[in-house]
Amino acid sequence: MFEARLIQGSVLKKMIDAIKDIVTDINLDCSSTGISVQAMDSGHVCLVLIELGSDGFEPYRCDRNITLGLGLKALSVVVRCANNDDSITIKAQEGTDNINFVFESPNGEKTSQFEIKLMDIDSEHLGIPDTEYDSVVKMPSHEFQRICRDMSQLGDSIVVACTKDGIQFSASGDMGSGKINLRQSSLVDKEEDQINIELNDPVHLTFALRYLNYFTKATPLSPTVTLSLKAESPLCVTYPIGDFGSMKFFLAPKIDDEDTAAATQE
Amino acid sequence: MAEGQETQEKKSSVVDVSGFIDSPLGVHNLQSAVPTITCQDECLMGIDEAGRGPVLGPMVYGISYCPITKTKDLEKLKFADSKVLSVSQREDLYHTITECNEWLGWKACILSPNYLSNCMLRRSKYNLNSISHDTAIDLIRKVLSDGVKLTEVYVDTVGKPESYQSKLESIFPQLKVTVTKKADSLFPIVSAASICAKVIRDACLTEWKFTEGDDCYSKSFGCGYTSDTTTINWMKDCIDPVFGFPTLVRFSWSTASKMLESNGLLVKWPDDDEDEEQKANCPKISLFFGKAKTNGDGPKPAKRHRYFEERKLEAVDHFI
Repeated sequence: MFEARLIQGSVLKKMIDAIKDIVTDINLDCSSTGISVQAMDSGHVCLVLIELGSDGFEPYRCDRNITLGLGLKALSVVVRCANNDDSITIKAQEGTDNINFVFESPNGEKTSQFEIKLMDIDSEHLGIPDTEYDSVVKMPSHEFQRICRDMSQLGDSIVVACTKDGIQFSASGDMGSGKINLRQSSLVDKEEDQINIELNDPVHLTFALRYLNYFTKATPLSPTVTLSLKAESPLCVTYPIGDFGSMKFFLAPKIDDEDTAAATQE
Repeated sequence: MAEGQETQEKKSSVVDVSGFIDSPLGVHNLQSAVPTITCQDECLMGIDEAGRGPVLGPMVYGISYCPITKTKDLEKLKFADSKVLSVSQREDLYHTITECNEWLGWKACILSPNYLSNCMLRRSKYNLNSISHDTAIDLIRKVLSDGVKLTEVYVDTVGKPESYQSKLESIFPQLKVTVTKKADSLFPIVSAASICAKVIRDACLTEWKFTEGDDCYSKSFGCGYTSDTTTINWMKDCIDPVFGFPTLVRFSWSTASKMLESNGLLVKWPDDDEDEEQKANCPKISLFFGKAKTNGDGPKPAKRHRYFEERKLEAVDHFI
């Protein structure tokens, strides 16, 4: 028996909106400690990792580890039927092919129930190593979204350069080029508007904007976003979900010449 | 647009194009003997093409040359733009050209429809204007290497006359080049070239043998222009959902490719999606993250112990 109730159902809606353009099917891996999802886009270029701790749910019950395969299309249709302030309960019985969703309005006057057929999804799990990143930048998520959107008007890829002076985003194309510099700011009143750069080593990496623009669909999930960068390693874009979970996107840097391509192969 | 309505007339052609008909792929050259006088006296030359627009058949480039002193004789032959002449008038004039072989020489280059399609559809596109320019340049070079004392060249333009002219002038600084529109009606020597080209193209269409098998297709394909309903109907009749058209058709023409899109089968290339990723130069994320252990500490549910499996013991949520 698996049962998890999310008081703020809108979080689930936002999570699904954030990934529905990247992946088509997901496996919810449920264990006693929480729910996790790992999925890749069809080209296996980027990876999404969602981790939700059991403490974000009330109640949370998972007797045995269970994997629930879901088509995002169906999930998105069902979740859209929930009101933003509804609570959402996910239930699955051992040995059945269905997953149940129950939406309850805050005053308890309205409840809706939906059932989705489970799918058998063959997905390979990748082991994501614990990485010591060279630079970790925390910034307002809407700012990052704006930068990616603006830069994608100029070119297909964005160069992210982190130095002790700040973080620079730049793009160039046939039309011209652009640069956006952000400096560390600590004087801002609200913590979520701060730009915080932890720098061990300067980094200089190039990424495909197409994917970053997919990632920024998660902006409504969190006021802040963290970019973790390391030379010749995938970028990790993290959107925290409340204080109980996170949505992470991994994207490999673009490779310019073949030497570096060979170097990144295991 | 009056081109070759009469090409279906069944009679042996005035010009021998059997060399091309036997292997109608690539490029085929035809030429007269080089008149001795053209190697002694200064010559002028005309260049024109036939069959640039049609979706069917080869494009033929023709050139003719003669000593400048013979200009008066040339005018007497009453050449005109090949397009305003009837088939028999053209053939008569072609005979006249061959009869004047003492002082009038010609060459032709037949570009097969297959060659045109291949050029225009290959990975680095080679457009029709460039093909035309290069063919003309090649023909001038050939005439020069034959020892003809060429001084003046008249060309019916392809694309902008100014840029074409400067292109030719830069390659052949020793020649006086004139590139204009309607050169075939302005200069008798260009008219002669255009008659050669046109007669040869007509002969190619009349004599055309389908390499796919002569009995597979009818030869009533009209004039080859896409404005001709006979041509369009013939193309619709002979389309194969997999192989498309016979090699008579220029696949690179939009008429042909549109017809293939709507009447042919769709080919799905599984590599296309991947190509797109490769174009973006995005390496796969799995190059960086190794595969997780299948039954390790990961979130994947651990396999139950053999003890339970063998005894078919399962966990239940409810007791009956």
